Amino acid sequence: MKLFASRDDLICWLESLLQQRIVVAPVRVEGQTMFQPISKVEEIIFDFGNTTLSPKGWFLPPTETLFSVRRDDGQVELVPMLVEHDAVVFGLRPCDARGIALMDGPFLQEPSDTLYQERRSRTALVGLACHQAQPECFCTSMGSAPDDLSHVDILLTEVEDGYIVQVVTEKGKALLPKGWAKYKGKMPTPPQLKTIPTKEIVSAVRELFNDPYWERLADRCLHCNICAYVCPTCYCFDVRDYPDKGKVERVRSWESCQSPGFSLTAGGYDPRTTKGERLRQRFYHKLLYFPERFQEVGCVGCGRCGKACPVNIDIREVISDLQQLTEARSGS
Amino acid sequence: MGQGAKSEMDMELIQQIRDKARNLLQEGTVEGVIGYERAGDGLTSRPFFAYDSSAVERLVFDETCTHNLVKYLLNKKGKRMAVVVKPCDSRAINLLLNEKQVERDRVFIIGVSCPGVVETNWSHKGETLQARCRSCQLTKPLVYDVLLGRETSRKAEEETYSDIREAEAESVATRREFWQEQFSRCIRCYACRQVCPGCYCPVCFAERLEPLWVGIRIAPEENTLWQTVRTFHLAGRCIGCNECERVCPVDIPLSLLNRKLEKDVKRLFAFQAGLDPEEPPPFATFKKEEMLEFEK
Repeated sequence: MKLFASRDDLICWLESLLQQRIVVAPVRVEGQTMFQPISKVEEIIFDFGNTTLSPKGWFLPPTETLFSVRRDDGQVELVPMLVEHDAVVFGLRPCDARGIALMDGPFLQEPSDTLYQERRSRTALVGLACHQAQPECFCTSMGSAPDDLSHVDILLTEVEDGYIVQVVTEKGKALLPKGWAKYKGKMPTPPQLKTIPTKEIVSAVRELFNDPYWERLADRCLHCNICAYVCPTCYCFDVRDYPDKGKVERVRSWESCQSPGFSLTAGGYDPRTTKGERLRQRFYHKLLYFPERFQEVGCVGCGRCGKACPVNIDIREVISDLQQLTEARSGS
Repeated sequence: MGQGAKSEMDMELIQQIRDKARNLLQEGTVEGVIGYERAGDGLTSRPFFAYDSSAVERLVFDETCTHNLVKYLLNKKGKRMAVVVKPCDSRAINLLLNEKQVERDRVFIIGVSCPGVVETNWSHKGETLQARCRSCQLTKPLVYDVLLGRETSRKAEEETYSDIREAEAESVATRREFWQEQFSRCIRCYACRQVCPGCYCPVCFAERLEPLWVGIRIAPEENTLWQTVRTFHLAGRCIGCNECERVCPVDIPLSLLNRKLEKDVKRLFAFQAGLDPEEPPPFATFKKEEMLEFEK
């Protein structure tokens, strides 16, 4: 179903949504565009390429308390954390919506992650189609598109005098006001993107586990966590317990395979001691382990990692290098 | 200077770097050369490791070469490496020589004269020089084995710390509010640490579990503790390459903190890090009468 909303219609609708739910939307913070819960509709930025961080943080926050344990008069009580509000993530790009759909794989498979599942089921996704591709974008090579409807509840496409509103799911339909006219016109042509060859990347990667390529690439890598934290599909975390005034909180925070302590075991053994092994893990997770487990490449082509990397490690270039290495091997 | 003359000068310097690198590799003086190559955007540059003489053709140098390559020497301890070093980066070599992290006879320093580097972002090359370059007083590296490029006649501005003085004039409450806002954006990616030539502890305090110095929460209080300790650990040691601020994915103005401490250390100890390999940073030295009983 396609509807049409003028800009005023859209603002009125957002005002009413904000009365009932938390609205998480792109806002400007010190020159950066970030997803944040808004208090006023005027805070929302509509004119942006993509946000600095993906909206994954709404579902897997950088830090959250999973539960706390209280001890009182010899009684031990486990207090679970609850998701108390319905929410809308507004203005996310189709690639980022796909990122959330990919995170569903590990988080919603049985036994599902309770907090993630709660947030996911109580949050609707209102996407904003891209009218311009950024230099870092390659979503069409990774199973998405600037106008991809697949993973949102509603998709908005900006046109000259307002927005085309594509209603994708029942969850989306339930959010909308009555009285918006049907849209009968044509859809604008989405921007064209350069494609990167991803054919048989999964099998190409498999053969290159011991290739010196990884140590060479790791020469340049700083082994910070930027790529993992800006990525809409990187979902690794660390969990620790913190005692605080008679209770203990179990806390989960983002963590990444690039950290030196990430794979260190309690016995002192570390299966990934070299920087090359750690860097390889990130690409292997995206291009081999995730597809083997969940049938999709674990990258949505948002290009944030390449853009934010201080030393220009770009997954597009890595994929192309891996394919060349495979071709060279099969040729020799 | 016209564009043509400038690019001719760039090409001359690039050729000199490639020739030197090729010689060093062919003669077996070094195992690898750490320099710069063109980045994937075709516009800016990125670090590059050349291990054989055919790879040296990828080496470049121009006003986008902002990275401080000295950091990479810490990953190549025990190896004979050559490294392309700008005047500012040479202060990091002095710091690491002083702190015994780099062996002088294992490093071949390809010093380059530098007209300053511009603000760059991926796929974007700015027009103006970085702030640190505008006040850089060094026209050539402080330490080198070979010096390439024509000496620059650029006049540097004096470092007046005007922004720091302005910040100092603010009330404690205002400053606290400012930094709480800044640190609330920190995502603890540790890029500031990873890129810093002065950050090389085998186990960073932020990774220590026992005793716990700072927890894993990515939250304002813990972010503040992380950034405060990081900054203080670099007091009198920060050489001002400003790579930490450049790499920060959420644009926290770390140079304000680093330069505040630089200013204070200058005033209190008349010391600036990395200018002299023989003179240790003030917090790495003590007078004999300060020694504790068991140290005598």
